Amino acid sequence: MLLRTEQLTKNYGAVTALDRLDLEVVPGEIVGILGPNGSGKSTALRLMLGFLKPTSGRAAIAGHDCWADSVNARRLVSYLPGELRLYENMTGIQLINFLSDLRKHSPTDRVDQLARLFDIDIQRPLAQMSSGMKRKIALMQVLLPETPLVILDEPTNTLDPNMRDQLLSQLAQAGKRGQTVLFSSHVLTEVEQICDRVAILQRGRLVHWQDMASLRKIRRVRVRLSQAVDAIAAPAHVESLRTHAQELDFQYTGPLPELLRWLGELPVADLQIEPMGLAEIYQKYHQMIGSN
Amino acid sequence: MTWVLVRKLLRDIWLPLVVVATLLFLFQILWGRITSRITTQIITDLQRAGLTLEFLQNVLLSRNEMIGQLVQAIIGGEQVELNKSDNFMSISYVHPLPLTILGIFAIGRAANAIAGEIDRGTMELLLAQPIRRMQIVLAHLVVDMIVIPTLCLTIWIGTYCSTWWNGLQTSENAMQRVDPMRFLPALLCIFALVFAHSGVTMWISSMGRSRARVWGWAITLFLCMFLINVFGQILPEALEWLRPLTVHYHYQPQQMIFNEDWYARGSVWFHLSVLIGAGAVGYTLAWTTFCRRDLPAPL
Repeated sequence: MLLRTEQLTKNYGAVTALDRLDLEVVPGEIVGILGPNGSGKSTALRLMLGFLKPTSGRAAIAGHDCWADSVNARRLVSYLPGELRLYENMTGIQLINFLSDLRKHSPTDRVDQLARLFDIDIQRPLAQMSSGMKRKIALMQVLLPETPLVILDEPTNTLDPNMRDQLLSQLAQAGKRGQTVLFSSHVLTEVEQICDRVAILQRGRLVHWQDMASLRKIRRVRVRLSQAVDAIAAPAHVESLRTHAQELDFQYTGPLPELLRWLGELPVADLQIEPMGLAEIYQKYHQMIGSN
Repeated sequence: MTWVLVRKLLRDIWLPLVVVATLLFLFQILWGRITSRITTQIITDLQRAGLTLEFLQNVLLSRNEMIGQLVQAIIGGEQVELNKSDNFMSISYVHPLPLTILGIFAIGRAANAIAGEIDRGTMELLLAQPIRRMQIVLAHLVVDMIVIPTLCLTIWIGTYCSTWWNGLQTSENAMQRVDPMRFLPALLCIFALVFAHSGVTMWISSMGRSRARVWGWAITLFLCMFLINVFGQILPEALEWLRPLTVHYHYQPQQMIFNEDWYARGSVWFHLSVLIGAGAVGYTLAWTTFCRRDLPAPL
């Protein structure tokens, strides 16, 4: 286990920012943390980096306690902050060299490779860079050391669509290299795109763990019938069937030929089959908590 | 790894350091000129006009008169003899202007050290690397140990150059002669005072998250100390007991300049120990506070 949190809790006075978070992340996994603003995503990440002292519980990276043994824990982590601020009196390369020196890691020719990939002039002073360019520099310092764990707090903020895709592809490659990636976001599509698992937080609590492989097996089917049907005998693997007038809406987890054979028996006027997205699951928990 | 931080901090500070060092150097040059004019010309002219030295000394430095008390509180000690160039030159070591410049520099640097980094949001970037918080405080201590002696040395070089340019080192009149080597021990005192400012402000900085607020607290604290020290001399019955609680009371460089046997005087070492102790306690508290606190998200 690379990262483990046990009943990790952080209170600010009477406010509970994170409530008994239990999390286990294995090497090579890409994990997304989803949740609205104030749900505890950043607090969880900051506890893992030893920026905050847990009120109770603990977090550990490769067995190193994130507060008591935080230096050894952080040796295994590279981090991209959500609110990015850099040393404006440095150039891009000076910042990368400075942070590499602190890590006792000498940047290789990968610096130039990443600079070309991100299309950035690293010799430019940071003070003269746009926020997107600064983010690219910060991403370079996160990707260069190839640490076992990469933590990113809303990494695609301020990135243009091309750069966003480039970043997600880099994270996917990091996962393939065996690095673990943990990132927070509230953009569901990017989480769907690369994550192996997703944790949904609400008001500081972990409300759902979603395995993306099993989610990708679920199809959402919407059918419009040309005429009303007296009784619908749904086959196996059909779940959450809802009928409204001449419309059917359900989730399907079985083999596709079986579904098409059944639909062939119905007077289908229109048909939509799409992979089940995170949006529905996210909405489900969001609304559930909202109604409580 | 601490050296990487030290190099970076020195790189950040070099421009303000050069500006402050230049200002301190120029003040010494100016004060050397003033000293030369007063001790070689003005005092002589006043004496020729019938004003005796005793009269001037009484008006300007008498402890019984308000003017004397104020002047003494600012230029330091009853020991100052206005017709002696080295005595007059020593006033530049207690003059409020260089002390204010040094104080602002020390407070500004220490306020920037922790609260400033949190305020700017760069502390997250720094502490995401595998470094101990203690190393950050240690790096600032090392920088103080480099920067403060540099400023002290600049002051002394200023003293040396100005006394040389104004012919005070080689004057045939013993009263007008200045030996700049006599000023060297006083640098210890300046070092101790600036270190005290830095250490105490570092402690305030370790608790804060806003540079401006740390500036405010530190300047208020040291201004109160300065005023207590000044008014303690003007109203000794009411405030004298408070003076030892101020860093300015313990800043007594003229004792070290006027007395060749300064090192044999217990009071000199006592005052130096209090100042260095204040700085050291400040740094220790900064270290323990910073290592235990939460690192808040940038404002």
